Amino acid sequence: MDILSVSFLLFLIGLLAVYYLVPKRWQWIVLLVASLGFYAMGGVLSLLWPCLTAVTIWAAARAIGRDAAAQKDWLKAHKADCTKEEKDRYKAKAKARRRRILVLALVFNFGILCAFKYVHFLLAQLNTAAGWFGCAIEDRVSWVVPLGISFYTFQATGYLLDVYWGRVEAERSVWRVLLFTSFFPQITQGPISTYADLGRELFAEHTFSYHEAVWGAERLIWGFFKKMVVANTLSGMVGRVFADFSGYTGPAALLGALCYSAQIYADFSGYMDIMCGLCQMLGIRLTENFERPYFSKSVAEYWRRWHISLGAWFKNYLYYPIAVSRWNQKLGKTAKKRLGKAFGNYLPATLALVLVWLTTGLWHGASWAYIAWGGVNGLFIIFSMWMEGPYDRLKQALHIREQSRAWRLFQVVRTFLLVTLIKVLPEVGTLADGFGLIGRIFTGGLSRDPYRLIPFVQKLSELWTVLFGVGLMLLVSLVQRKEPFRDYLARRVPYGVRIMIFAALFFLILYLGVPASGGGGFLYAQF
Amino acid sequence: MDELMDILTDIDPDVDYEVEDQLIDGKIFDSFSIITLISNISETFDIEIGPKDLIPENFNSAEAMWDMIQRIREEDE
Repeated sequence: MDILSVSFLLFLIGLLAVYYLVPKRWQWIVLLVASLGFYAMGGVLSLLWPCLTAVTIWAAARAIGRDAAAQKDWLKAHKADCTKEEKDRYKAKAKARRRRILVLALVFNFGILCAFKYVHFLLAQLNTAAGWFGCAIEDRVSWVVPLGISFYTFQATGYLLDVYWGRVEAERSVWRVLLFTSFFPQITQGPISTYADLGRELFAEHTFSYHEAVWGAERLIWGFFKKMVVANTLSGMVGRVFADFSGYTGPAALLGALCYSAQIYADFSGYMDIMCGLCQMLGIRLTENFERPYFSKSVAEYWRRWHISLGAWFKNYLYYPIAVSRWNQKLGKTAKKRLGKAFGNYLPATLALVLVWLTTGLWHGASWAYIAWGGVNGLFIIFSMWMEGPYDRLKQALHIREQSRAWRLFQVVRTFLLVTLIKVLPEVGTLADGFGLIGRIFTGGLSRDPYRLIPFVQKLSELWTVLFGVGLMLLVSLVQRKEPFRDYLARRVPYGVRIMIFAALFFLILYLGVPASGGGGFLYAQF
Repeated sequence: MDELMDILTDIDPDVDYEVEDQLIDGKIFDSFSIITLISNISETFDIEIGPKDLIPENFNSAEAMWDMIQRIREEDE
């Protein structure tokens, strides 16, 4: 179902009515039916894949949970009559059993993800390799990738790993795991939540609150404004930039890249605002996915504030396990002895970061351009980690005051430009096109003709819409540095005026947004 | 406990570890600090800190870390 449609609004109104009318203990069942119905609108058969993931993850988690409970009971019963060696042997056997179940479930589910998402990429690589021997492999695969597969697979496997590590209890009900896997506001673009966080919200009983409903609706409208007015208007301009940058001057190419940064932020954070607002109306708090990322002072900080839930997933389930793994720690220890303390400290984190960033690249897309994009992000983060000491000494030598406004502004602008250049790399077309656009920024030269500065703008109304929308988003972000924007509005603006503001936004969406949204899907839905 | 305090001071000498209880939630330690911390604790106390122990509650204060070290030692015995 298209979220930017009247049918979605009707679906939402119907859901809210049923959700608050049924007995509270049935609310999660209403959400489950709504989620499966939402997903089935893309084809009933497509439901098979999230259901398969939910069932296999539920079964594996139950088996691991039962085994862990049995181990606890056995150790309790044999506390006095077993030697330490016997207990260790039992624990090792039980752990190996649980690990087998975990690995089987992970391989099965990541196998489905890889089969759908990476089959064309793998076949292309095999075809290249076969070409060296004069052979060819024809790609006849025409599978339709299940909606949101990257998101729900990560969320479900995260739950399984949490059960395996004893962070959460295994859920008894397969239906509850199915809702956790398929919850419709999250399934297409995240956020990727943990079972501890989302389960607590989904399975609690919620009473209708006028305040939550109004604030949820306000956030929903703000999200629609960001997506339908700002992102969709920018979408046309960015399309022209990516298709035709080779004749641009340097500043025009840079402005085009900046437009893409604004578009993807308005698009993705707009979706999150819509879904967080919708969930707030249901009394459910979703994990926040953005924290004003373009105000970051380093690439590492940017990734802690952009798509927060994906970063948290990679940190918790890949980065830390690799960094603290026995082999990596051993390597660090050896490096510490032979190459010095600093080298030994940095090495385990560096190896983990390399793997995390290459995987992050692959998660975003099955192409060398995305792998390179992940690699470049990782490179900047690793380089800044290793150079922290010399960088601090350089700042001291230059008498730079860390807390001065000018220095912080410089850091923010530098990081924003840097992430913008990295962002466009895989989006223009091929990797060569991405580098081509970046190259154009530095080699495109200047022009005195003002129209050559924005050749991608076809109508002046587009330009005013974007300037107004981006200006409004900037204003909201500046206020949010100190307090949530709606707290600020509630404190400073009378209730009637507040309603007028959101009513004005609603009419702007109708007037400016709808025409721009023709066929404009969400950018992150492709991941 | 003194050895743990030495490890923590080595990571960030400006923090008062006697009172601070928001080392992770308050974003005082970043992920690199946590890895360095785990590496040094494992080496000094000869224990293995696994992914299951990597939850903010175990690293928010020196006291919580000390409790975790004792618990892992007990589990190993």
